[in-house]
Amino acid sequence: MKQTLKRILGSIPVLIGVILLIFLMLRIIPGDAVAVLLGDHVSQDTIDRLTAAMGLDKPMWQQFINYIVGLLQGDFGISYTYGTSVSEMILTAFPYTVKLTLMAIVFAWVIGLVSGIVSAINQNNLLDRLFMGLSLMGVSMPVFMTALFLQYILAFRLGWFSLTSDGSIPSMILPAIALGWNSAGSIARMTRSSLIEVMQADYIDIAKSTGLSNRAVIVGHALKNAMLPVITMMALQLSSMLSGAVITESIFAIPGIGRLATTAISNRDMPVLQGTVIFTTIIVIAGNLLADLLYSVLDPRIRKGK
Amino acid sequence: MKRFLSLLLCSALAVSLLAACGGSSSQEGSSESTATETSAAETSTGSGSTSTSDDALQVAWTNDVETLDVHLTTNDYEIPLNVYDRLFEIQLNDDGSTELVNSVCEDYIVSDDGLTYSFTLRNDVYFSDGTQLTADDVAFSLIRLLALDTSVQTDFAACILGADTLIETEGYSYNDTCEGIEVVDTTHINITLAYAFAGFLYELATPAGCIYSQAAVEAAGDSFGTDYTYAIGSGPYVITSWTRESGMTLALNEYYWGETPDFTEVNIQIIPDSSTLSMMFQNGEIDILDCDLLDSAVVSATYKTDAYADKLVTANRLGTSYMALNENDENLSNVSVRKAIQMAIDRESILASIFDGDGTIPDGIYPEGLIGYTEDNQGWLEYDPEAAEQLLIDAGYTKDSNGYYFSMVIANDNDNSTSRQNVIQIIAEELQAIGINCTIENYDHATWLDMRNAGEITAYVSTWTADYNDPDNFIYTFFGTEANTLARSLNYSNTEVMERIQAARAIVDDEERLAEYAALEYQIVAEEAAWVPLYSNSHLFVLSERVESFVPHWAGYSDFYFATVERAD
Amino acid sequence: MDENLTYLPDSSDLASQLGEKDGIKEKLLRMCRQNKLAAASAIIIFIIILMAVLAPVIAPYGESEQDLLNRLQGPSVAHWFGTDELGRDVFTRILYGARVSLTIGILPSIIALVVGVTLGLLAGYMGGWVDYLIMRVADVMLSIPSLLLAMVVMYTLGSSTMTLFIALSMVNWASVARVVRSHTLSLKESEYVEAARSIGVSKWSIMFRHIMPNCIPSLIVLFTLNIPSAILSESSLSFLGIGVQPPQASWGLMVNQAKEFLFTTPWLCLAPCLSIMVVVLAFNFLGDGLRDVLDPYMKTQ
Repeated sequence: MKQTLKRILGSIPVLIGVILLIFLMLRIIPGDAVAVLLGDHVSQDTIDRLTAAMGLDKPMWQQFINYIVGLLQGDFGISYTYGTSVSEMILTAFPYTVKLTLMAIVFAWVIGLVSGIVSAINQNNLLDRLFMGLSLMGVSMPVFMTALFLQYILAFRLGWFSLTSDGSIPSMILPAIALGWNSAGSIARMTRSSLIEVMQADYIDIAKSTGLSNRAVIVGHALKNAMLPVITMMALQLSSMLSGAVITESIFAIPGIGRLATTAISNRDMPVLQGTVIFTTIIVIAGNLLADLLYSVLDPRIRKGK
Repeated sequence: MKRFLSLLLCSALAVSLLAACGGSSSQEGSSESTATETSAAETSTGSGSTSTSDDALQVAWTNDVETLDVHLTTNDYEIPLNVYDRLFEIQLNDDGSTELVNSVCEDYIVSDDGLTYSFTLRNDVYFSDGTQLTADDVAFSLIRLLALDTSVQTDFAACILGADTLIETEGYSYNDTCEGIEVVDTTHINITLAYAFAGFLYELATPAGCIYSQAAVEAAGDSFGTDYTYAIGSGPYVITSWTRESGMTLALNEYYWGETPDFTEVNIQIIPDSSTLSMMFQNGEIDILDCDLLDSAVVSATYKTDAYADKLVTANRLGTSYMALNENDENLSNVSVRKAIQMAIDRESILASIFDGDGTIPDGIYPEGLIGYTEDNQGWLEYDPEAAEQLLIDAGYTKDSNGYYFSMVIANDNDNSTSRQNVIQIIAEELQAIGINCTIENYDHATWLDMRNAGEITAYVSTWTADYNDPDNFIYTFFGTEANTLARSLNYSNTEVMERIQAARAIVDDEERLAEYAALEYQIVAEEAAWVPLYSNSHLFVLSERVESFVPHWAGYSDFYFATVERAD
Repeated sequence: MDENLTYLPDSSDLASQLGEKDGIKEKLLRMCRQNKLAAASAIIIFIIILMAVLAPVIAPYGESEQDLLNRLQGPSVAHWFGTDELGRDVFTRILYGARVSLTIGILPSIIALVVGVTLGLLAGYMGGWVDYLIMRVADVMLSIPSLLLAMVVMYTLGSSTMTLFIALSMVNWASVARVVRSHTLSLKESEYVEAARSIGVSKWSIMFRHIMPNCIPSLIVLFTLNIPSAILSESSLSFLGIGVQPPQASWGLMVNQAKEFLFTTPWLCLAPCLSIMVVVLAFNFLGDGLRDVLDPYMKTQ
């Protein structure tokens, strides 16, 4: 318990660092945010007028203080482009991203573990090769290629899924597969190699010699020990999944956090970009904390050791 | 083991979810409008491909609109066009010509000096909340357009008497008045201009001329334009939901005074990826596909086929693509160099390869279909790289050790469409061929605009599309004032021409005025080579089986009136 | 540098982690013998690098030589991989694209290595607030999803190849620093560093001449594995339109530009896509192979 609290407190300075870094990085902007908002048909006079109206002519420290004060109240600012509260936009978009990421994680876990185990049991035969080939494809293909190919074949040609997602679970399956494939590939490879390693260990032989079936040995003993590195990896992958969600959401037209970030870039909507990046990072930090806790629950050595 | 694990995982994620939501919901109470959230709930089930209502017209855009307030945008016209009415409309005829037709205005009289317009409004126009549209609303909308500090559309009413004061005065109140605008009674309004200007009625027909409901704008306060429930107009449609980056639904305005449209519902989805869009169209999930989003080779392979033969619509746009050359540049200040560049670009093969031949290659500033376009100014510019290089040699240029006469840079805006970026790459290559070391530098949109507005980029390629059908909209924008020449034509220097352009605005006799515009066009393009004409490509749309016909907006944006889309039987 | 100092005496903790006391050269040879896949990957990478370097010599056409009349042609004798939307030879562009993509893979990884090693050594050796500060900054970098961090950098500095280097270096240095730090921590207390300290060797010298060389095996592995991830990040950024800018060619950008033609002229997409996959896999296999022989401890970490 004390350990848990310590970890949570330890992540606070990181959070502050993230906010500071993103805030500062976004202030070194070349280009005039206002000019972009107004588009092509506007005079410089209008631009100057608007700059003043939006408070962008204030000194940086003043803008910074205003932002921090707002953030403490859970206010991420007002979108330049839409004029609405950024927190509100994030709250609207967040459920889509959560759904997508959760489904992708489930897919990655289930498919990754199952094919890893199957591969390990059937080491070097056809099934193993097939699964490992698919895993390698997932690991080496850029997310957007996976997404485009899956969309074209499974949704457009075969019509098994809808081309875009409206947020319902069935329509999220394809995007989740596209997003999760990469992780599934790494999990499968990791599971396979750690299972093979563990299965060669002495205690497995002992377990086998007591008459347990092959399957029982794998599930009961080997898998348990092989899980630990996989869990660590999963935590690291939350971050890359959220990166991938940016791409997947754009291809499957899911109005999630990633979409907010990409449109914020093209609109040069700084408050929205700032808000989405900071918010997403908070999720990653929370996810890592959870993985840490999960790890200590699963690994008695750590639990007792500390 | 496995069950335990998944249980743990699920609960852990659930906790994180709750924590995240709980953390941010605390500030929810403090923010006033919850419009986006309620709409989210509505559309998450309503929009999307799976639950298409049979009645709804299915449309998709790659970007969401930013605001519904047309005073604040120069891009997002589509929704205001369909939700609000204007005093006049511009109708696009089959032969490509345009014509001004009455809309909310039933009749009008112009005084002999061309200064005072007396409008009579229809008395059967109601907003979607059931209140009547009155002359007060018209006055209110025009004054807001001028007086709002953040308005970007002031140019469209700047000729009204007293407009200058409203534009210059800081601050805006709902009670602001304008010297030239006088409300007589509920259906009569007089507008006096500061100077006679023939284009005034056309300006009122632009999206900037949308008539708002004063009551709705006042009730909305700051959230006007962002909260769709206050977008109350007298047009054919009313917005029923809007989820940012996801989509919008429109339904028939039950008080609409005009003819009931074929499609009483419109479902707009935001689909950022154009390949996805194309697949959705082929799947029958979208009714109208804007081919500008696709490469012409894809369009030609997929849609210029027998299957879509009757469903491909071509629209000529009142717009033209051009290259601007900075006259402050040491080399480009030389008129021979500019002429050489004009001649070095093979516009025909650009049109043929990038646009599959769909379009025209005007030799002037005005595109075909624009009032003031004249055949007299066409046909003088030929692609001739040898002659172009000879011009450089005659101007005294010699090749350096790398085989180039000089170097120049085209500034590319990263937001440019793929086809325009391709055109820029072709131009760079063609200039290389005549010995100009032409390279491309890429800037993001903001930086590019900044540099262009300061007149600091060497050259750029862009497209100008008419805001109203008059040569003034083209020539004044690029060559009319020093501010405009700085940013648009990149330091065009002939002040005499600028003065003539300003003076041309007030020429009352139309024939005389157009002759002056033609003369100016010829001088700028052919004699001074201050404008490099490129092409004017057509706008293609494909229609689904459900759509019989549709007319793109006259100005050639991808905007159009949903109400004029005809359903196939 | 004294060869003997590169590796620790048997008695140290690390010796057991590093396996036998073979030199790097022996280990690499062993890998080539035992791990055919890694060896083959190394050869493939070498060939691709060679082709990238020799692009101007090998390429049948100029980098941006256009032929508007022959756009989007299928594979033929004249154009092995066909032509793109401006009639440019795709094979030529793959060769030139290899230069950009490999540079984008390798250069940021080198920058990340230099920054990461320096900060990792400082953090591990100095301890105290220096350690705390550096590691928290590293945590910050590792917490922000890499694509979003890169997007922020691109937003701020504008899209260019230079910015890509900066963005991708920022993403990768933190993991290097972490590994170096943990090595430094365990080495700091070793008898051999104690000994160096007692005879008055300066702390910079200890860090860079005595501790750092022991991190090299791990760093080689990390470096090899950072390259494919940088190449993939570049392709993602290019997909979003904020990576390498045309008319320059990179594989990621080529895939992005070709994606529109995926359904009408699929070969256009295939060539850069396969190039990315082959290089990414090759670096991954090589990295795995190197890890097996150089740094078996890392595998379970």
